[in-house]
Amino acid sequence: MTQEAITGAVPSLRAQRRTLRLARVRTAARWLLLVAGGLLFASVFVYALLSAVKSPADVLSGRWWPREWHWSNFKLPFEQAPFARYYLNSVVVGVSVTLLNVVTCTLAGYSFAKFDYRGRDVLFFIVLATLMIPLEVIYVPLYALVYDLGWVNSFLGLIVPSGTSAFGIFLMRQSIDAVPDELLDAARIDGAGELRILRSIVVPMVLSPMAALALFIFMANWDSHLWPLLVASDDAHRTLPVGLAAMQANNLGSSGIPTMMAAAILALLPTLVLFLALQRKFVEGVTMTAGIK
Amino acid sequence: MARAARNRTGLAFALPALALFALFAVYPMLRVVYLSLFDYNLTSPGRYVGLENYRFLIHDARFHAAFGASIFYVVAAYVPAVLLALLIALGLNTRMRGSGLVRLLYFAPVATSWVAVSVIWRLVLHPEGALNRTLGLHVNWLSSSGSARWAVALTAVWKEVGFFVIIFLAGLQNVPRELHEAASLDGAGAVTRLRYITLPLIKPVTAVVAVMAVIRGFQSFSAQVVLTDGSFGTEVVNLFIYKTAFANARMGRASAVAVMMFALLALVTLAQLRVFRRTDR
Repeated sequence: MTQEAITGAVPSLRAQRRTLRLARVRTAARWLLLVAGGLLFASVFVYALLSAVKSPADVLSGRWWPREWHWSNFKLPFEQAPFARYYLNSVVVGVSVTLLNVVTCTLAGYSFAKFDYRGRDVLFFIVLATLMIPLEVIYVPLYALVYDLGWVNSFLGLIVPSGTSAFGIFLMRQSIDAVPDELLDAARIDGAGELRILRSIVVPMVLSPMAALALFIFMANWDSHLWPLLVASDDAHRTLPVGLAAMQANNLGSSGIPTMMAAAILALLPTLVLFLALQRKFVEGVTMTAGIK
Repeated sequence: MARAARNRTGLAFALPALALFALFAVYPMLRVVYLSLFDYNLTSPGRYVGLENYRFLIHDARFHAAFGASIFYVVAAYVPAVLLALLIALGLNTRMRGSGLVRLLYFAPVATSWVAVSVIWRLVLHPEGALNRTLGLHVNWLSSSGSARWAVALTAVWKEVGFFVIIFLAGLQNVPRELHEAASLDGAGAVTRLRYITLPLIKPVTAVVAVMAVIRGFQSFSAQVVLTDGSFGTEVVNLFIYKTAFANARMGRASAVAVMMFALLALVTLAQLRVFRRTDR
């Protein structure tokens, strides 16, 4: 009886070990596949970087590794085009648009979450409805309007039309909604004005979504190409995407390739670094845009 | 009394945002419909032409080609991107050592700008670039009508996969681990579990992904501008609007295209949401 029980248990233990080993092999295989795929994705960046430091003669040679490392190639975009200007413009526009969005979205979010006036829900609905209107649909009349305002080839034209976002208002409304009313009422009894309450009670409690919003807006603006192409066609106002595309159009021969690779890498560095530093916020931002659509 | 005054202050807080929306979103939206009925360029006053712009476009081969190019791009870039993203998200959705680092590799392209990426991919797709060299091919990716659209789609897959991986991963957080464990104890294989547990549970996320894929696809512009400037069958709707409005100075006609694109996107979005909702039950 006992003998039987023991011998019966042994193969099942062996079988268990075998399934365990199989599961481990499977996990390892999956792991390997994922890493290989990831490296394949990343190889594009590596290829761009290695090509940026090659000599023009070396760049199409088919060798991955540069014959000589020309780190000074990273100076070329600045020497051959107003690249520093483009960069500065992108920073100025990106930071301004981000600040403007954080302010207007937080104010509107506070308004929609914590006040009760006639038409509030209708207004909020209209704001959400504008999510359905992509820039692609309205940019022709938008350009005509900005043209009439005299904002073509000006920072105003680059910044003001992007000054708020429906997604941002939605996000801030949801976040501020969670702030307890009792806190606000207590402050009101103490005689604090609404702006003061917003600044010293609400904002400290929603700093995290504000940061996610700021990151999201800045990155989207850094990528923005079509609108700046329309309103800022002169060198003094071109942002990086517009400038980079213009440089590409002027650099079609192979001699310009290292310059273009250096320029592209420099152009994507800020958002890449922001992403690496603030991964969690970044993922949060992307997930939030999906949550609302 | 104090309450009424306070609520007035509250309304005032919304005004900056509302003013910006009114001026730079709502007004242009109404105006694009209005302009689509005019023969209009910036410098001269418009001439009312009724539905002439629409009539012209319906018979315009270039317009047809643009819609075809956009639809091709949406399908050829976003179907593989979404499927690949689902696979990668399923693979990444376990606690493995270093999985955070592997995620970074897939997410990084999302954090870059389209123009910079397209500049880099011009070299990858160069006849003597990395793609041909690695695969031993001799394809003129960007300068032949057979392959240019595929090359643009390939670039987009690389750029967009990570975006959808992020969204799928968020959706997979809602799938309880215990369900999978219970099902495997009952002998359900990986495919069965995917089909009967994971996919039904992430259906709302999949609906969002489907809607976003179509919208993002139709918004495409920079990749086509930088890679091919719209040649070889890559003049997508958005680029067609741009060229019609600003190279040919036909803003009325461009507005008509925009209105049709808007109508199409709205319809597709509604249809997608309905499909995903119906099969929910």
